[in-house]
Amino acid sequence: MGRSKNTQGTTTPLLSVENLEVAFDSVNGKVHAVRGMSFSVGEGEIVGIVGESGSGKSVACRSVLGLLPSYASIDGQVLFEGSNIIGQHEDELRKIRGKQISMIFQNPASHLDPLMTNGQQIGEALRYHFNQDSRKARAEGIELLKAVGITDPEQTFDAYPHQLSGGMKQRVLIACAIACRPKLLLADEPTTALDVTVQARILDLLRALNQDRNLSIVLVSHDLGVIAEICQRVVVVHNGLIVEQGKIEDIVSTPKHPYTQMLIDSQPAVKARKSCEKPKIELDPELSEQPPNLLSVENLRVNSRTSRGFLDFLRHRKTSGLVRAVDGVSFKVRQGEIFGIVGESGSGKSTVALAITKLVSPSEGQVLFHNKSIMELRGDELTNYRRSVQMVFQNPYDSLNPRFTVAQTIGEPLLKYSLATKTKCADRIDELMELVDLSIDLRHRRPRQLSGGQCQRVGIARALAMKPEFLIADEVTSALDVSIQAQILALLERLRDKINLTILYISHDLAVVQMFCQRVAVFRAGRLVEIGPVDEVLTRPKEKYTQTLVNSAPQLHFSASLPAH
Amino acid sequence: MSLRNLPTTLIVGAGIFLMWLVVALCSPLLMGTDPNALNFEALLQRPNINHLFGTDHLGRDILTRVIYAGRIDIWMGFAGVLPALIIGTLFGLMAGYFGGVVEAVLMRVTDVTVAFPFFVLVLAIVAVLGPGLTNFFIAIAAVGWVSYARLIRAEVLVVKNAEYVLAAKILGYHPLFIAFRHVLPNVLAPIIVYAMTDAVLVILFGASLGFLGLGVQPPTAEWGVMIANGQPYVTEAWWICLFPGLATVTLGLGFSLIGDGLAKHLRIKN
Amino acid sequence: MQRYQVILQRLLHLLPVLFGISLVSFLLVQLIPGDPVRLLVGPRATEEVVAAVRERYGLDQPLLQQYLTYLGNLFQGDLGQSIVYRKPVGELIMERLPRTLFLAIYVICITIPSTIFLAITAARHQGRKIDHIITTSAVFGITIPVFWLGIMMARLFGVEFGWFPVSGYGNTFFGHLHHLFLPALSTAIWMVPVLVRNLRSAILEQMEADYVVAGRSKGLPEQYLFYYHILKNSIMPTLNLFGVMVAVLFGGTVIVEKVYAVPGLGDLMISSIFGRDYFVVQAITLFFAVVTITVTLAVDIISTIIDPRVKL
Repeated sequence: MGRSKNTQGTTTPLLSVENLEVAFDSVNGKVHAVRGMSFSVGEGEIVGIVGESGSGKSVACRSVLGLLPSYASIDGQVLFEGSNIIGQHEDELRKIRGKQISMIFQNPASHLDPLMTNGQQIGEALRYHFNQDSRKARAEGIELLKAVGITDPEQTFDAYPHQLSGGMKQRVLIACAIACRPKLLLADEPTTALDVTVQARILDLLRALNQDRNLSIVLVSHDLGVIAEICQRVVVVHNGLIVEQGKIEDIVSTPKHPYTQMLIDSQPAVKARKSCEKPKIELDPELSEQPPNLLSVENLRVNSRTSRGFLDFLRHRKTSGLVRAVDGVSFKVRQGEIFGIVGESGSGKSTVALAITKLVSPSEGQVLFHNKSIMELRGDELTNYRRSVQMVFQNPYDSLNPRFTVAQTIGEPLLKYSLATKTKCADRIDELMELVDLSIDLRHRRPRQLSGGQCQRVGIARALAMKPEFLIADEVTSALDVSIQAQILALLERLRDKINLTILYISHDLAVVQMFCQRVAVFRAGRLVEIGPVDEVLTRPKEKYTQTLVNSAPQLHFSASLPAH
Repeated sequence: MSLRNLPTTLIVGAGIFLMWLVVALCSPLLMGTDPNALNFEALLQRPNINHLFGTDHLGRDILTRVIYAGRIDIWMGFAGVLPALIIGTLFGLMAGYFGGVVEAVLMRVTDVTVAFPFFVLVLAIVAVLGPGLTNFFIAIAAVGWVSYARLIRAEVLVVKNAEYVLAAKILGYHPLFIAFRHVLPNVLAPIIVYAMTDAVLVILFGASLGFLGLGVQPPTAEWGVMIANGQPYVTEAWWICLFPGLATVTLGLGFSLIGDGLAKHLRIKN
Repeated sequence: MQRYQVILQRLLHLLPVLFGISLVSFLLVQLIPGDPVRLLVGPRATEEVVAAVRERYGLDQPLLQQYLTYLGNLFQGDLGQSIVYRKPVGELIMERLPRTLFLAIYVICITIPSTIFLAITAARHQGRKIDHIITTSAVFGITIPVFWLGIMMARLFGVEFGWFPVSGYGNTFFGHLHHLFLPALSTAIWMVPVLVRNLRSAILEQMEADYVVAGRSKGLPEQYLFYYHILKNSIMPTLNLFGVMVAVLFGGTVIVEKVYAVPGLGDLMISSIFGRDYFVVQAITLFFAVVTITVTLAVDIISTIIDPRVKL
């Protein structure tokens, strides 16, 4: 994993941001997104900007190209090759955009015009900046698609964005960006929306472009691990200010600012590494046998059917679009353990959760709870099962009814199942809120008045109202900032100890699973690829797919002494 | 929820509507004259002190008739919309949430109903049932519920996959409970806005039917009927047509602005 | 999915709808209170005539049989007989159709360019005076009753200024244009506001889209972005609305023809309602429905051409 060329000399830096300030006019007065940032990017350098949401890192990036909305006011200087971009006329800016400085964005799907072919969108910049005719633009476009690693460039050139996968769309966007051979590429969270393996390949591509074309890159991300993969220097941003900056090795090994330290500590990879060094006491050493299996999944198959068109029926298409979301999966979860399921999108991990909670019926196989099949449960037995098995979801704001207050959300199951009398209900709600570290002042708030982390806590409290034995956490921290993520995971661990909870933790984030879970199952395309204790599977994977997965995950490298993959 | 936070359009619209409501309800108190009183002494008078809006070809005071007609047209806005809204919402909710036979039937019925121009179908039904206000309401309800059902179903399809609905299912609530307590309140917002626009359309259709002679029957005052009555005299006595028309426009404006204001307000809330 | 496959699919979906429409039209006449035969032949016809008519139209048979007879007649082009005019209904419709068609096309020719122009102007100058003027006028436009507007305009431009005739259809092509200008304008004034609001709002939404920011970051000029990216993406939802509005347009022609005494299909429908000429009413309703479906199908097909994502 080589680092790219580092050509920091005494020459003028390519980009020099000095005392950048950006404020937005809003209904509540001025919002200061960037409050005085200064940093520079040299020729051929890759500089990372890391910060949590709302830190101003994306705003800073966009202000370099003047892509902010009209209600933004900018102060300070942005020097590109010595001359100030801020305040320049649109005509001048247009000569720079796409030609000298380009940008790629977080969500590739929304940044491509769905009604234009991929090739036309790449060719636009070529035709506008260089006045190329369509034949030349086509030839060059196809070359560009090859350069960004697309396997059938001609077909992709004539195809439309919706026909490509997420990773391919991002490659097309990169092709658009490098078409006119710019000197600097601004990358605003380009891999956040992609699967881990795809992310690794896109980062490799960026590194290759940097080396082959001497392309300077500014990589913005909330994930310090991603930054550490390819950047030489990093700028740490918090609340619109630069908190610390320097070489990546220095920052990561000896951070000077407490916020940087917090970011590093919150990185699950770091936690996992630290916890590796401690012996894990998961079982009472006095016990000679392991705890009983709480949940057992046997040969589970879940099919989802995509509808057959009428014409398919006419043409006797046998494969009526049957998707095997879960294709013969078996595993057991022991009482009191934290069991993880990792996989990329489409691996079937969420579908397993739906099958366990009886939201979908499996076409084959069994799910046993306390050694009893859940398939045929009815009436009271079904109610009891529902009370024992609960779930917390990924999107904090979508998992709560927007019209319910916190008290209503948590109180509803209490009242519906007569778990508390009307008079005692308020007390029980308070109890539950305290259990999840939620201030009881928030009881009358609605979801849009809460933060993401608070919403997740409400979701957990709602699940706990039923006093479950088994809790499924489906990507519960994926939508949260790293620091909040750490808090929620700590909360789940405390709850496990306090109220004897068994947790099934589903995630795409290997580092979190390594830190948090005891055993893990790796899923791919509906099948279980590998299963075992988390340290074994994630540090010494046996299967090829698991190895790819582990290698793709961005790691934080403290120093040369730590083992690097 | 202070008044200051509500958009201006909403307030203006509500203001207009309330004004009409008050005027219409209090019409007997406000206007001393009988709207149907014939007065052969004062045929086709221009607007003057005694008759602020003039008189028509039978000597009836236009102002009084416009105000009395207001009651009917406001009533059209409500009675034309509410039944369609309720029926459409129920069908749309069931079809969207439960799918199956209900949805299949709804989609077929929708496709067929939508194929007919709305007004033409209403006209045809009125033709068959006979003229009059009640038959008008029946025709409007029979044709109009489909639009509401479609709207609700589309919204329900989105909401039913929300995580809080999944959570409710995992909590084991009865499907009907989930449909009415969790799904329905979150899909009503666009319906209310649409209902306001629909109210305007119903009033216009009602007036059109009145104009054609197939709605409210004389001698009852109704804006459309009044305009029809005034059409032969429009060259000399333009006021007979003008004021009922203005009244229709202002009442429609009231509903329309309420709809716009609500849309803005709900969008801001989200 | 190939384009032609999508079109075929849409056509296949039409079949049940066509059946549904014919069923509704058929049932319409069934709802008439009283003996339909009597209505057809009048109160003074003899028993033999009544029996003959009853047999001809199969009115003594069970409902399903009657429906099938009706369908059979439809396929042969027999829409029944008009009591008032003593002619086959089909003939009547053919006579009147060109006038309504002319009016409808006239309205569309006025509506489409105005809508596009007004919506683009309002969107490009969002928040400024011209935008406020356009949007406020749009709010008013929706609430104006077409017939009232028609009468007022006839009074003002026809009588007061004498620029346009206020009734009839004219005899030459230019005569048609002259006579139908006011009716077409009245209907257009009613349709344009809804479409403008819709298109303007679609354009404004697309202006904020991510791919526009991406395009800007490539250095593309605003004008190019507007016409080649934003406008194309805004057309789709408005196109669908336009399809719906065509149905409304037919409703409008019914009223407008009455106000301006244009001897078209709408006028025929009204007079047939009063004349209790039920077969005519039934046939015109069916006809309008078929036209609406055709327009909807055309809109669907255009959608698949514009938007490559449109699937079944």
